[in-house]
Amino acid sequence: MTGGEAPVAVAMVDADGRLVSADPAILALNARAGGKIGAAVAVPQMATVARLARRLGIVISRSIHVADEDADIDLWVRAQPEGEQVRLAVSGWHERRAWHPVDRRPAAERAVIAADSDWHWESDAGLTFSHLPVIAGARHGFDARRLLGRPIDTLFGGAAIGERLVARQSFVGVEARLLPGGQDMEVSAVARFDGPGRFVGYAGGVRMTSVSLAPPVEDGVPATFARRLERALRLPLGRIIANADSISAQTEGPVAPDYAAYASDIASAGRHLMALVDDLADLQAVERPDFVLPDEAIDLADLARRAAGLLGVRADTAGVVIMRPPFEARMPARGDFRRVLQILVNVIGNAIRYAPRGSAIGLNLGEAGGFASVSVIDRGKGIAVADQARIFEKFERVDVSETGGNGLGLYIARRLARAMGGDLRVDSVVGEGACFTLSLPADAAAREDHR
Amino acid sequence: MSVEPTLVRGAETGPALVLRVAMADAREAARQAAVIDDYFRPVTDRIDDRTRQALDTLFTGIVLAIDADLRGRAAQSAMKRGTVRDMATLVGGDVVVDRLRDTPAIRTGEVMGVLLARVELDGLATRLAPMATTQDGVSLLSRLVDCPDPGVAAAAADLLTLEARRREVEAPIVSELPAELHHRLVWQVAAAIRAENTVFPDRDRALSDAAWHVIAAHDEGDGVEPAATRLAAAIDARCEERPALLVESLGDRRPSLFVAVLAHAIGMDFDQARGVVIDPDGDRLLYALRAIGLDRSTVARIGLALAQADPRRDVDRLADRIDAVMAVSIADCVSAVSPLCLHRDFRDAIQTIGTAS
Repeated sequence: MTGGEAPVAVAMVDADGRLVSADPAILALNARAGGKIGAAVAVPQMATVARLARRLGIVISRSIHVADEDADIDLWVRAQPEGEQVRLAVSGWHERRAWHPVDRRPAAERAVIAADSDWHWESDAGLTFSHLPVIAGARHGFDARRLLGRPIDTLFGGAAIGERLVARQSFVGVEARLLPGGQDMEVSAVARFDGPGRFVGYAGGVRMTSVSLAPPVEDGVPATFARRLERALRLPLGRIIANADSISAQTEGPVAPDYAAYASDIASAGRHLMALVDDLADLQAVERPDFVLPDEAIDLADLARRAAGLLGVRADTAGVVIMRPPFEARMPARGDFRRVLQILVNVIGNAIRYAPRGSAIGLNLGEAGGFASVSVIDRGKGIAVADQARIFEKFERVDVSETGGNGLGLYIARRLARAMGGDLRVDSVVGEGACFTLSLPADAAAREDHR
Repeated sequence: MSVEPTLVRGAETGPALVLRVAMADAREAARQAAVIDDYFRPVTDRIDDRTRQALDTLFTGIVLAIDADLRGRAAQSAMKRGTVRDMATLVGGDVVVDRLRDTPAIRTGEVMGVLLARVELDGLATRLAPMATTQDGVSLLSRLVDCPDPGVAAAAADLLTLEARRREVEAPIVSELPAELHHRLVWQVAAAIRAENTVFPDRDRALSDAAWHVIAAHDEGDGVEPAATRLAAAIDARCEERPALLVESLGDRRPSLFVAVLAHAIGMDFDQARGVVIDPDGDRLLYALRAIGLDRSTVARIGLALAQADPRRDVDRLADRIDAVMAVSIADCVSAVSPLCLHRDFRDAIQTIGTAS
């Protein structure tokens, strides 16, 4: 069968599934499959549709895909019960070479729409909205609640989009205007059809091309974006890490060693990304102009001991000893308990990374000029004077050749320290080590009480 | 700020080692039994990977939302009373989900049943083939939004909005559980948080206060299923209107409306009717459709649409059964399905107490 513009071919099938009569196209197809008039329909897919239509007593239309010698053919079959017989109307006759991959164009268009769109919509055949996003709508300045069930042209303005929509065919990247706010956008859509090939509506996507009514950007990271990013990433990343860990640990069954190693790499990269998400959330918080932290009575000695405790296993693994302040030591200060712990964990974590195996990390307490302080001293390779300012900048690292870390830790730590009225400073001599000092306002009253 | 996960190192000698091996042995035996059990399970009793993933996302999402809400409110309540100093001291999140996952009562409880049914019906919506059923092509809900009856119009707009919200990736996952089940789940999440926070001062009072707040904030009418039920009640379709309404709701890929219309016509609650509709066996649905007086051709169209959307359904079996079901009188079908219309608690009680006289 060569296909082309073949018209609708008709055949009649009796109650026992035998071919009673057929137009030449169906007759030839059936004969090549080994059938003839008076025998059972030999093309299995056609026989199935005819049988179902007769047994259910309703019209059945569906697309079938039949092998015909060295080619495959796509056909539309409409089976209509007529008394005891079934009338088959076969159209389409679209040839597909047997080796040719399946035509995935609609799926590909869908993929383009999904990947490239700010939001998605769907309509019925009457061009009214059957789906619109409620939250994305609010962000772009329209109320999905009011528009659902309403004509598409209440939201999409412009001559070009109007013409494309009534054509009832898929389109990509047509310019339009969002009617409530007037923003420019590009609309893409896949036209959808039902079994008998009738248009049933569009599934589309929209890419906003002009500045939307989004809230103003605050120093690079809009708050809503950071919140969305955090929410959108945390759960899938957690799943990726957990699943990669189980593959790596082979908890679900044995896998090839190479794959277990890849999974371990995936988990490690996932953790790195998760840490970055945490840091971006912190970054967004510390850079807000109204960022304030609770001012409460804390004990720097206690916090230094806690931070050292949290990192004990890492220090053991690195072969480093952390010299914790003695249990009875006290250093009252003012600040936010959780954030001070966060700073100390970061600074001590850095020290562990750079301290040579077998060396010790000192945690020294001090008080001077109304400030209480804790210094973290390592015997690592140190930081050149020229680099000492740079390491507190965003996305800078103590040693750029080192893997791990994203260059936000010290930046956030210093911002946090300053937000509490203190500071984080570094003193270092190359080759001898580094000393990071966290200072916070001393809590004189608590000091007196203690005495 | 990044802190690397703690490396776990434990003793691997003596009795601990023997115990470890014995436990691994027991685990392997249990695993093998579960796998063999799974092998012999009929295909209709399995869920496909997509349903499994959707159920996981829904369950995890609901639990995480309740967990975050509870911990936030518990910390606030503890701070107000001065028992803790800062907000971020309660542990939760994935550990709470894992703990609930390991709790047998969660597996056998009604919450999972309702969530699975919701996921299966949502899955049906995505797999149903769209079908043009009217000349102008305007879908059922879009027409109902313009209905002169304000009750119908408002309910249709609600259903459109709530279904859109449920499909939106960005939208937070909302429990949408019936009040009683939501309350039970809130207490279970609170108990899981409690178990993970043994040293939190005043934790029981803080969690209890928080749970009552979370329970009070839940609106069980704010969901797709209640909205569909309201719409079906507002339409209150006459007998002769039902075939078109049911066929069109499937053609528009709104199975929740299909379930609600069926439930309203037959006098079942939504959950029960949904169970009948998603059951791949399909026999109860055929009797229910016959009981509400549908003609053979409408029953066949509905059966075919559902069979094409769910590979577990056997379209030949539908063809085998349809004449037998249509041969039963409507009155007999009504009395056959009437026990399904009783309140769930009553049916449970009948089953528990027994029917012996």
